[in-house]
Amino acid sequence: MPRSLALPLPAVLLALLLATGASLFAAATLPAGPRGAAIALLSLFKAALVVLGFMRLQRESPALAAALIGYAALLCLLAGLRIALAG
Amino acid sequence: MNIAVRNINLDAGHPASEGGMELLLWILVWSELIVFGALLGAFLVFATLDPPALAALHLALDLPLAGLATATLLTSGCFAARAAFGHKPRRNLVIAALGGLAFCGLKIAAFAHELPVLAASEGRLAELYMLIVGFHFAHVLFVAGLLLLLVAWRPAPRHVATVATVWHLVDLVWLLILPVIYLG
Repeated sequence: MPRSLALPLPAVLLALLLATGASLFAAATLPAGPRGAAIALLSLFKAALVVLGFMRLQRESPALAAALIGYAALLCLLAGLRIALAG
Repeated sequence: MNIAVRNINLDAGHPASEGGMELLLWILVWSELIVFGALLGAFLVFATLDPPALAALHLALDLPLAGLATATLLTSGCFAARAAFGHKPRRNLVIAALGGLAFCGLKIAAFAHELPVLAASEGRLAELYMLIVGFHFAHVLFVAGLLLLLVAWRPAPRHVATVATVWHLVDLVWLLILPVIYLG
């Protein structure tokens, strides 16, 4: 089995829950510009954690893992832009 | 995932049907992602074109309940991952399924007070919201209520890994629904 960084599942879950709480906090408190950026980054962080931490897809297929994270990045970027520009 | 792409090499002595099943799994995963991507893209366009409708929709949504549902779904995903990595697959799959059903319960609680408001409003955003969240709800109900429990009954490693992949897809889609619909 190829050696790669394997985050422990409880640590991944804790990071996901903290990022979810931070997203909700950002949505409730930040002005539009920083809110868009914060929500986009936190959402992408969570999506990447699911792919790399729960699925550990990078061990089997780095290309598929990159494609899933790229897909999530596109949607997070669009959502963040909409929030930042339209409030 | 321990599963999916690893055994695609037919030279390794695996039956051809295994590679075919894995290819089908990833075709299914990407089909789902494309459908949800199109729906979320449409939501983003209509939300940009009609900010008052988005503001009205946000007033009807229960953000704390959505946060709680997210935490429930992610915790369930963690148990599915544990099952896929070989830790007591039956028990972890059942816990994952219960987490999914708890998510459904939380969404039903949210729908109970969102639907009357949304039904009274006109416009595409409310319809798109119901379509996207309802479609995801159907996925959770089907995978948690049927597939996870079915595989937990006789947890063959390949099946556990496959159903865990589908469950993580459901997680991933919800994590993308959250910023597009709820947090905006």
